[in-house]
Amino acid sequence: MTERKTRVTVTIDPRLVAYANELVEAGKADSVSAVLNGALAEREARDREALRRIRDIAAQADPEKVARMRAHVDAQLAALPASHRRR
Amino acid sequence: MSEDGGFLPAPVILDASVLTEAVRGDAGVLDLILGYDVAGQPLLMPALAVVAASLDMRSDDAAATLRGLEQLENVSVAPVQGADQAVRLAAVISRTGLDPWDAHVAMVADAEVCSILTLDGRKWREHESDLDDRLHYVEISDPDDS
Repeated sequence: MTERKTRVTVTIDPRLVAYANELVEAGKADSVSAVLNGALAEREARDREALRRIRDIAAQADPEKVARMRAHVDAQLAALPASHRRR
Repeated sequence: MSEDGGFLPAPVILDASVLTEAVRGDAGVLDLILGYDVAGQPLLMPALAVVAASLDMRSDDAAATLRGLEQLENVSVAPVQGADQAVRLAAVISRTGLDPWDAHVAMVADAEVCSILTLDGRKWREHESDLDDRLHYVEISDPDDS
């Protein structure tokens, strides 16, 4: 990755710091920063995949049926007391 | 109130029936939720309702669906935070006879003064007067199916 890194201060559990150091010492990671960068990148990928999954499933819905359900829900929401409709 | 002085919509709670159907891969329910998220409607997922949906289907795909819902911009998970909320939840379970996940939905609806989005209107009709303030629910259904 060629993008410039940003320096941040974070607090990490001692056992996780020890594990990151072990990875570096064993030659399995370039630095503790690289370990953290990789972990965050994995988390980001997992979250994006989860979002993609629900969007892919939703794309298979029958738009007319969803429109009818939405209109039905909207009508019920509009009939709620004002206290339950807005802030 | 919003920054431009207008009113913000009150949150709507996704109950266990909605989350369970989403986890089972109901495209219509997921599309409906995504539509409300895009429209800026705040949606709450009580943590115990998430538990119920996760118990219904134990798989990585099911977990990914719940994680995906949590990623949506206007979706938040309502936790059971601290001993006070846990004790209040126990009181709602005791008073209503609801399962813990439904009781958590009722507790959040009562505390946040907002409505419950459900596929099981009959259940909430039975329990709408169980607490001091009436519980309001909105049922997802296709009028053409009835």
